[in-house]
Order: sequence, then structure tokens, then C-alpha cells
Amino acid sequence: MNLDKVVACLKEISFKPKINEFQDRLIIQKVVYLLQRKGIDSNFEYNLHVRGPYSPDLTKEVYDHKSAVERLETSSKLNNSESKKVEEFKELFSELKPSILEVAATYSYFAFGQNQDVITALQNVKRMKSFYSEAQIAVGVSKAKEFLFRPSKKELTDLKEELRPWQEASAKSMRG
Amino acid sequence: MNSDFLSLIKESEALNSDVFSLIRLLLLSSIANVGKDGVTYRELKAALGVSDGALFTNLSFLEKTGYVTSKEITLEGKNLKSYQITQEGLLAWERISNWLKKFVECGGKNNESG
Repeated sequence: MNLDKVVACLKEISFKPKINEFQDRLIIQKVVYLLQRKGIDSNFEYNLHVRGPYSPDLTKEVYDHKSAVERLETSSKLNNSESKKVEEFKELFSELKPSILEVAATYSYFAFGQNQDVITALQNVKRMKSFYSEAQIAVGVSKAKEFLFRPSKKELTDLKEELRPWQEASAKSMRG
Repeated sequence: MNSDFLSLIKESEALNSDVFSLIRLLLLSSIANVGKDGVTYRELKAALGVSDGALFTNLSFLEKTGYVTSKEITLEGKNLKSYQITQEGLLAWERISNWLKKFVECGGKNNESG
């Protein structure tokens, strides 16, 4: 487990948490989960709990090192690739809204962690987060997809094929 | 019947049998698993798929027993009720889950020998 790296990520996204606040602890849980899925591994094990993907060890570490986390003290430095990923996260989840993060993390758990198809993953999110509106769920799911979706070779080929007529038309119009 | 079974029966005398209903075990386990963080009423309702009546009654029972505590928290400007496990609740849950594991293992052994 690497709490130092977690703190480095929080620092990069300029989130200074107050550990006694329920909302701030929830944000940390979901941010770390989404970044781990993206490949910034701080080695916290997540399982599906009543609150969605959740790491009891992360909560314990955060409480045990409360003042360091609150002051964003860390000896860890993110490498270029990690910084880019955090930057991408920052752009997509700029407001750090707990509802959007919760939905995005829960959808990611089902769709990318459990490799469930889109419909099943969405149904499971709607069941577990039924207290959120359709709009909140739609935004969270779409941000999760945008952040984590990696097209396969076949999907890339299909996409290129789909776009080919448009590109040809565009090239033709440029030639006059 | 082996001696493991008899010791299981003996051990069961120390358990709080009032907690042995599906919903109470689910609640105790769900709340214990998130430790200090606690879990909101609406999360429990959605994840466990239980009615308000059943949830409220059983949470009140666990609170009265001293196994969980509740407090008001704020999330995105909304006031919500959050439940946390107490030290007593955690001990009770550990005792129950350990006993259940032994109980299942003991059943398996008896089936093999029988």
C-alpha cells in the first residue's frame, strides 16, 4: 500500500481533504479507485461493498496518517505518465462531485473490473445507486467511459472504417 | 456426532441470538465492513433492497443493542443519516462470523463421515 502516492495524486488535483468530513473521505476513496483503474497503482485492494468499490485499508491508512494527508505531505513524485493521467482526471472530474465520482467508480468496477457488458453494468449501477437521478447516473457513467475506455484493435479498425467516408469527403472538399 | 459439534453448541451460547435474522446479519456485516467511514441509510436501502419499514426497525434494534451508532452527515449539501459500527458491534460481528465459519466447516465434516 502506498499512501504517499495517494497524497501525491491528491496534491496534483489540488484536493485538500478534511479527514473528519464524510464527503472528503468518500472523494478520496473514489479518486484513488478511478486512478488505480487508469494505471496509477497505489496498491490498495478494493472490493464491492455496500458503498460501491471500497478499500477498508485506505480508510485505515488515511486515519492513521491524518495530518500528513490533510497537509498533503508526501515524499512521492508522480512520473510524467502518471501526471498526464491525473491531468486527464482533473479535466473530466474538475468539480470532484461525490455523486458523479460514486457513479463513475461503481460503473468502472462493473464494466472494467468485472468486464460486464455495458447494459449489465449500467443496471447494477442503477440498482446500487438508485438514490441518484437518471441525469447524475448518465453523467457519471459517461465520464467513467471517457476516462477509462480503451478501444480494442477491432474497435479501432471499425471506427476508422466508419469515419473513412467523412475523411474522404473532407479531403475532396479541401482539394477543391 | 463429533466433539467439534458439541463445542460449537457450547460456543453458540455466547452469541446474541437476537441478531440471527438475515436482515440483521446483512446490516451488521455491511456496516462493520466500512468501519470508521460509516454508511448512509440510503446506501443500505439501495444495496440491500429492503423496505423502509424493515430497514428502520432493524437499524433501530442494532442501535438499541449498542452495536451501531448513527449521526447526521452532509453530502453535497444534503443532510443524511449515517451508521457506524461500535467496538461492541464489531466484536459481536467477529464472534458471529467466526462461529458461522466453524458451523459450516463442521457440517462439511459431518457429511463426509456420515
